[in-house]
Amino acid sequence: MDHEIDRRTFVGWGAATGALALAGCFGEGGDENGGERNDSDGEGNETDENRDETVDVAPPFPEIEDKPDAVYVPTHRESMRALEPIVAGDYRLAPMLSYPHPFWLVTGDGEDDVQHVTPDQMRGVHMMFTLWDAETGVVLPVDSGNVVRLSRDGERVGSPQSMWPMLSQEMGFHFGDNVPLEEDGTYTVEVELPPLSARTTGDLAGRFAERETATFEFDYDQDFRETVSDVDYFDEGRWGERGALEPMAHDHVPYSRLPEVDAFPGTFLVGTDESGEIREGRPESTAELPRSGDAAFLATVLESDYRLTGGDGRSLLVSPRTPYNRVPLPNMSLDATIERDGESVTAEPVSLEQTIDGEYGLHYGASLEDVDLRAGDTVTLTIRSLPQVARHQGYDTAFLEMPPIELRVPEDSDDAE
Amino acid sequence: MTLPDRSALSRRDYLRALVAVGGASALSACLSENDDEAVDVPSGTDDPDSLPSRQHAWNEFLSRDDDGNVQLPEHHVLVALSLSTEPSDDARAQVEDALRALERAYEWSNEGLVFTIGYTPAYFDRFDGSLPDSVDLPDPEPIVGDADRFDEFDAILHLASDHPEVTLEAEQGLFGERDEFNGRGIETDLTGVFERVDERRRTGFVGAGLPANHTDLDGVPESIPDEAPSLMGFRSGFAESQAPEDRVTIAEGPFAGATTQHVSSMGLNLRQWFEQDSQHQRVQKMFSPEHAEENAVGTTGEKLTTTNGLTDERIAATEADASDRGVVGHAQKAARGREDGKPPLLRRDFSTVDDDRPGIHFLALQEGIEEFVRVRQAMEGTDLDVTNLNNGITGYIFVNRRGNYLVPPRSLRALPPTNPTETE
Ligand code: HEM
Ligand SMILES: [Cu+2]
Repeated sequence: MDHEIDRRTFVGWGAATGALALAGCFGEGGDENGGERNDSDGEGNETDENRDETVDVAPPFPEIEDKPDAVYVPTHRESMRALEPIVAGDYRLAPMLSYPHPFWLVTGDGEDDVQHVTPDQMRGVHMMFTLWDAETGVVLPVDSGNVVRLSRDGERVGSPQSMWPMLSQEMGFHFGDNVPLEEDGTYTVEVELPPLSARTTGDLAGRFAERETATFEFDYDQDFRETVSDVDYFDEGRWGERGALEPMAHDHVPYSRLPEVDAFPGTFLVGTDESGEIREGRPESTAELPRSGDAAFLATVLESDYRLTGGDGRSLLVSPRTPYNRVPLPNMSLDATIERDGESVTAEPVSLEQTIDGEYGLHYGASLEDVDLRAGDTVTLTIRSLPQVARHQGYDTAFLEMPPIELRVPEDSDDAE
Repeated sequence: MTLPDRSALSRRDYLRALVAVGGASALSACLSENDDEAVDVPSGTDDPDSLPSRQHAWNEFLSRDDDGNVQLPEHHVLVALSLSTEPSDDARAQVEDALRALERAYEWSNEGLVFTIGYTPAYFDRFDGSLPDSVDLPDPEPIVGDADRFDEFDAILHLASDHPEVTLEAEQGLFGERDEFNGRGIETDLTGVFERVDERRRTGFVGAGLPANHTDLDGVPESIPDEAPSLMGFRSGFAESQAPEDRVTIAEGPFAGATTQHVSSMGLNLRQWFEQDSQHQRVQKMFSPEHAEENAVGTTGEKLTTTNGLTDERIAATEADASDRGVVGHAQKAARGREDGKPPLLRRDFSTVDDDRPGIHFLALQEGIEEFVRVRQAMEGTDLDVTNLNNGITGYIFVNRRGNYLVPPRSLRALPPTNPTETE
């Protein structure tokens, strides 16, 4: 699409002119995929006469040309206001607010299944929250059906909604959406958290069984808008470069960063390089892990005496993550097929179950109890459905086309029972 | 009572708003609105035996769409009722007379009026005996861990007509606020036996073009298709995805000819649905991923005829769609609740903007409540490997309350006892 703007035309725009400039920049509706977009008011403008123009402050959203099919550097760092974390039963929740901005929804696995969402209107916030376990600090990146209700002066505002599960480079995994707010004022937000739907292990096992409610308040006003829309754009030359922004540092709010590879036990399955040669040795960092769709995949076989296997033979643990910030990739469906000399070792592919562990965070696991895995066997990980999670800029073109990954059981591991 | 502002609304919108407001002044406003087009409402019958013995026998009398599917009346009111006296033979006679007056005044059709009266488990609790085993009517409960508010008043009157003023007039005539039903004097009404539970009164609409009249409301986006018959945009109630009336009728025992009714009321998030999801994603989530891939639905379902297009294979593919595509459809999931390939529920749900918020009053008839629960659980799909907002429409609906009712046969519709054969 050709409505990217020359950076020079917006550098220096003040808060007061932001609204007009913005209307021009996304009035055409920006759908990357060429699909239809439902503009909120048909005209795509925000110029109701009775509105104070200065409230529609927001930075522009320039498009990046030639984005790689990989994680890339976005146009800017986001600016946001972090609120005090809240306790709700076993859960901790940290709300964060920014200005409404575009994101991408992923629903399914075809090319029609990525939808570029631009804000309905600039009055409002991008509301986000990070959810984690109070005891271990592990971020809980699965959506069990959160429900958010907004009110102002005791009056309900808008319809109830579920927040999208989302990935952003600075925020990591979070729940969020653009929420329109017509009026300035103090808003009360009630977040209902149902029992956690994913399998849990370790320190998380048996917890999060109750429905909990967290409540917080925030002020929406000109001061807020000016603070969060004070955004510095990177030099245009960096936009779309492969790489990622550093996670945002917030006191008291954990970032959804998975442990580095050396923290994982077991025998690592090894990948092949471009020429099909097996990479020797155990990978030392996420950067060295095999990739699919730019997601890094750690795969390790745990011995039967290890905590996660429950004593019934060995098990397979797969920990897919973003390549730089090690953010877990949830809501995938993964299978493993095991072959020896070109013949399948199991009748059916082994399907892995999404699990959250108190130590290793979100991963996918399966028991290998019925599998006689040997050194030299090929283990192919098939991504049946890709991470069904909305993306902020910089993750919108990665983890979409995810070919199978072929791994090998290394020779020195032939010490099975 | 504040009447809606006529000048601010289209005519249809205004009429809808009047039905939602209810009350005598709403009716007179409604009637004067119609002066210029003087709706002619066909009158009913003086021979009660010419009407079907089941209250829920509507289909044969309702109009059909171009494909031959039953078309529900456009306007609906659910009048919540609380008993103001104990059931007695006199009270029964009064209720029966009052309801017969409606049948005399209005043709049993879309143009006239169709109605049912249903009774809650709370109503039956006042009797010594319990309902016979042939009636499956438990107290309402949370089904999918959602609503925790329940209909605990005694009865509900469901009034439906293509003419909003008919539903209003019928309701008001039954409560002494009108002297005439369709030009006929009213001799007996429900006052003294029932009083209305105003906070639980519900209204709604279904039909092409009606939802798009409400885009003036905060939660109803402009992007809803003009021709959409329901607030989420799609047609429903195809002949092949509905149970026939026989299937939902209790066949045996003292309540033979009755049916059970579940009413759940829920809010909708239409902003994410229409402003963020694409049509492709909406079709995936409402029908099935394959419907979207094959472009089988159209804008509002116009490509479908008498079936929602769910073959046995598509229904059986639900689990695989969850794993392979990461998204499943609402209809696809709910159809897993079919028995021997046949839907057990007769859905007569309608959209609403009660309290100026978009929602659905989901009214379903089935032989026993257990069947509703089973289908509702199939629709929830907690067994599926799929994330909340990709799990059909479950992430877009927010259930507020539930109620279970017994809709007795016409012969027992006036204050039925728990075991009619014993007491009669
Ligand atoms: C916002 C609420 C709802 C909307 C907009 C909605 C809409 C639809 C649509 C468009 C269809 C496909 C067309 C058709 O077959 O009629 C459908 C099918 C169906 N829905 Fe819903 N529905 C809603 C809630 C419910 C609820 C609460 C239930 C409760 C169990 C339910 C049960 C069914 C069933 C059983 C089918 C047909 C499945 C079959 O073909 O066997 N729906 N719905
Ligand atoms: Cu976000």
